[in-house]
Amino acid sequence: MNERTAQLTRKVVRRELHSSRALPAVAVAILISVICLYVMFEAALKATGQNAWLVSPEQVAAWLGDLPDNVQLAPLVGAGLLMFLIGLLCFLSAVLPGRRARHAIPDQRTGIVVDAEVLASALARRARVAAGVTPDQVMVTVGRRAVDVQVRPTSGVPVDVERIRGVVEDELRLTSVAPVPAVRVAVAPSGVIGQ
Amino acid sequence: MNQTPRILNRLLLGLIGTLLMAAGVATTLLMFPAAARWWRSVAADLGEGIDGLLRQTTLDGQRDSWLWIVLALVMLLIVACMVGWIAAQGRGRSGTLAQDDSHADASGQAAGRVIINGSVAEQALKAALQERGDLVNAAVTTYVFDGEPALRIRVFPRSGVSPHEVATEVTDLVRALDLLVGRQTPVLISISAGARTRFTRTERVR
Repeated sequence: MNERTAQLTRKVVRRELHSSRALPAVAVAILISVICLYVMFEAALKATGQNAWLVSPEQVAAWLGDLPDNVQLAPLVGAGLLMFLIGLLCFLSAVLPGRRARHAIPDQRTGIVVDAEVLASALARRARVAAGVTPDQVMVTVGRRAVDVQVRPTSGVPVDVERIRGVVEDELRLTSVAPVPAVRVAVAPSGVIGQ
Repeated sequence: MNQTPRILNRLLLGLIGTLLMAAGVATTLLMFPAAARWWRSVAADLGEGIDGLLRQTTLDGQRDSWLWIVLALVMLLIVACMVGWIAAQGRGRSGTLAQDDSHADASGQAAGRVIINGSVAEQALKAALQERGDLVNAAVTTYVFDGEPALRIRVFPRSGVSPHEVATEVTDLVRALDLLVGRQTPVLISISAGARTRFTRTERVR
């Protein structure tokens, strides 16, 4: 595989692991478009000498001019906080890395990404077989740095924690996700009856 | 792997977020009498300035300033930019998997162009993937990424299927496709969970 293809594949994988921020971008663009369309309409009415549709620009300017006196304190502060909050959400979505719940699997030829959910269900299946319990009794959560395995044993049948940890680590090693998460196995103190 | 303008998205979101936060803080600060006094004096000056500007730009015999037309056009321009921004999201699908141009040269090679359509890869891989019992669904799409054709293979395994097995076997298919097409394009294999993988049962026998 030539250098250019390898470089592009790495870039694609890096992009796949992060959010593109398309959704907030579209939401903000629609909001701005609606506001601008309204302002354009009022400005066009004004330019052609027609009466204003909802409020005339002069009324808006006058209302803005004596702002703290013509509204109650609570709506004023509420509106300010709401604007700040929406702005903060936009700002955070611009600044935060926006990692998606996905893991990269290194490969010579292709770029491979796997959803954390798929990995979790594969780990849960291995853990369930090792513990000898039903699917409902195992829950696996896959994070970027850690994998949590929670097992509720069948009442009276002990489960081997080290064995479960062993198979989960083995599956992770086979999958060779990078970076390799740490495995934590928790066995519930109370068992399940009648499985 | 589409050509969504990620840096532009983040820049614009950051800019608009900062402006909105500033406006929010300013509005909230108006609850303090000192800030309200300051705003009233500034607003009076601003109002006079705008009135003067509008009077200067009103042509003889006209009732209103021509600045309103300019304002309407500027708003139209902003709306057009926003529509362009929305349209740029998720762009980048294409129909070409590989392309080769050759020019006529002294050795007698004829000039010509060979294009391999993306549906070659899509149909070959989809046919191979749909035979597999451990996958609920598969989708293959060709994209243009950084000016180069690229392939995205999305597979939806049943719950409990080991991702490394799926990855190895799909990679083998990709290598076979490389031999078939005769050139290597960047390939992304995305092993995903969809609604159907969640609700279909795990396979007991394989």
